[in-house]
Amino acid sequence: MTDTVQAGRRKFFDLARPSRQHLLGYILIAPAVLMVAAIIVWPLILAIDLSFQQVKIPRLGGASRPFSLSNYTWLFSSQEFWLACWVTLKLVVVVTAGSVAVGLSTALLVNNKFKGRTVARLGMALPWAVPEIIAVVIFAWMFDTSFGLFGWLAIQLGFADQMIPWVSSSTAAFWAVAITMVWKGFPFVSIMCLAGLQSIPSDYYAAAKVDGASVFQRFRWITMPLLMPVLGVTLVLTLLWVFRDFSIIKVLTGGGPLRSTQTLSIMTYDQAFQYHNFGRAAAVGVLTLVICIIASLLMLGRRSKSIY
Amino acid sequence: MNKRVKRLALGAATATVMMMASLSPAMAETVLKFISWQTDDAGTGEWWHSAIAEFEKQHPGVKIEFTKAERSSYADTMTTLFAANQPPQIVHLASFEFQMFADSGWLEPLDPWLKKDGIDMTGWAGQKTCEWNGETVCIMTNYFGFVMAYNKKLLDEAGVAVPKTYDEFIAAAKATTKDLNGDGIADQFGTGHETKGGPGQYLTEMLNYIIDAGAYWTDKEGNITIDTPEMVEGLTRWKTVMKSGISPVDMSASDVRKLFADGKMAMRLDGPWLYGTTEKGTAKSDIVYVAPPLTPPLGGSSNVLAMPSDIPDDQKQLVWDFIKLTMTPEFQRTYATMGGNTPPSPKADVSGVEKTIPHFPVLLETMKAASEKGIDRVPTGLELYYNEFSKMVMEESQRMIIQDLDPAEVAKTMQAKAESIKG
Repeated sequence: MTDTVQAGRRKFFDLARPSRQHLLGYILIAPAVLMVAAIIVWPLILAIDLSFQQVKIPRLGGASRPFSLSNYTWLFSSQEFWLACWVTLKLVVVVTAGSVAVGLSTALLVNNKFKGRTVARLGMALPWAVPEIIAVVIFAWMFDTSFGLFGWLAIQLGFADQMIPWVSSSTAAFWAVAITMVWKGFPFVSIMCLAGLQSIPSDYYAAAKVDGASVFQRFRWITMPLLMPVLGVTLVLTLLWVFRDFSIIKVLTGGGPLRSTQTLSIMTYDQAFQYHNFGRAAAVGVLTLVICIIASLLMLGRRSKSIY
Repeated sequence: MNKRVKRLALGAATATVMMMASLSPAMAETVLKFISWQTDDAGTGEWWHSAIAEFEKQHPGVKIEFTKAERSSYADTMTTLFAANQPPQIVHLASFEFQMFADSGWLEPLDPWLKKDGIDMTGWAGQKTCEWNGETVCIMTNYFGFVMAYNKKLLDEAGVAVPKTYDEFIAAAKATTKDLNGDGIADQFGTGHETKGGPGQYLTEMLNYIIDAGAYWTDKEGNITIDTPEMVEGLTRWKTVMKSGISPVDMSASDVRKLFADGKMAMRLDGPWLYGTTEKGTAKSDIVYVAPPLTPPLGGSSNVLAMPSDIPDDQKQLVWDFIKLTMTPEFQRTYATMGGNTPPSPKADVSGVEKTIPHFPVLLETMKAASEKGIDRVPTGLELYYNEFSKMVMEESQRMIIQDLDPAEVAKTMQAKAESIKG
């Protein structure tokens, strides 16, 4: 009897059996799932829970406050929130467009054969390899209002008659942030596009040339359609990066002046660590997540399939 | 046989390791965590290290783990540690940020400890700031007054005397702001203010001019007093300084101090900590410290020591012993001789400090002047909302400068917004 039970157990745990192979899959993936749950899902649940409580500074293991919609009520009636949404949208559009334009151009450039191509490819990828905080500190020096390189260049080249107040002018601060983000973000687009370009068979171009297609026609009718799947994903990833990026804005402008560079991520930080309103901060974070999900779905969902 | 010996050896080794592991907590030293932004500050950092060394000498088996957290992210670090239920045993906070922790009930009331040891806090500079809801929740570590440091060489070259009033200060700053290489960009400034740091620092820089104009954010009862003719004058002065090009803009405090220390700035209004930077600068021999031309001098409480309310009692006793040690007349004296700071204790013997720090009498004078006038950077009644308030004031001041707004209108806006923040 005991032997029969043990044999049954052995059969159940015999992961080599075709009918049990899915179990092996689950077992192998379990640590990763648990890890993801611990570092992503659990904090997410905590954040959602916190967003429905009127809490200044929460304490781990502390008692929960009563359910409340006050954080969301405050948020939707707050001018600050809508301004942050508008700034985030502007930045997302400008930086994503800039990164794609520069990234695609450089990818097309280094996809050609020319002397020094390897060095050019390396140079193209370099901004991506530089740690973000170091890049921002360097840009902060270059954008310095009193002694910065960009202000000096603008004067020397006759574009300005005095140093540009990069950080104390709303317009200049926005562009300082956007330029830095494009510089940091375009190599990713370049690398992705280069990989996409290299997967396009050269026969297509040869055939188009035989048919008399110009460079622009080849780009419009061969390169772009075949690059679209890669470009679509790259676009979404870049958009999400701009949405959640914090360090570039924090170091360069801190969200100012006059909140002209205060995005949703900066607002989340300010509410949490400056004003000690963790409940409100959690509400901003949750809404940012919802916006990101909607944006991603719109770009990758059924409606967008036609562009591929 | 060989295999059996190997197994035995392995077993013995495992048992030894396990036994050592189980014994180690009992044998380990008690460790008190102490996080500060001043660990490597010139002078003050050394003073903390000397206090820790003395404490460890007096308490064998107890070790203080002294760790640095950058000032710029210090409040974030402490908030995270408290929120995660992992506060350091020795709590070091700026005097404008302890209130949130005290209001959450996370700081131990110190009155029973003071009473138990019979410590009289009468005359301890700035100690009133440490009272929260009628209880003493911290000990004021530093209370200071602003001084003015000037570069004698630059002032002499410009042919201007050391300023004694606001108007003279502006005139001297204008005379010493120069484009030395003729490229159209000023590379020597009359004075300098930090405008790139946090809102709290921005407010501190502004306050020099606002206090001199006779204004302040609130009265002693905590009523908002921004919409006054004095405040309009103070805001006008700030606007003048920031728009006239006598100060570099968008710089951090350390950059401004470095410029001054290296002879690229004629005058700097700052706290006692400026000395550490000027001592390392290339213009060290040209720098002179005097009382500021703006009166009363800006000053107030700087940083505090406290202990968390929910640590074990034996640890509380140790933390209190450490706090008590820093309050002794001996350590209050070395706070001056070693740290170059003005000790808050009325019993501190500071005689002869001027032999090593020549401008020490000026520091004492400005500290007393600020203390007598009850000057502090944190406005009464807005302690809990200081960050929100300071950000609002910074933004409205920036708007005034960028959009060239009338200071009178700005004062009205600030008044309304401050009242709304206070609720």
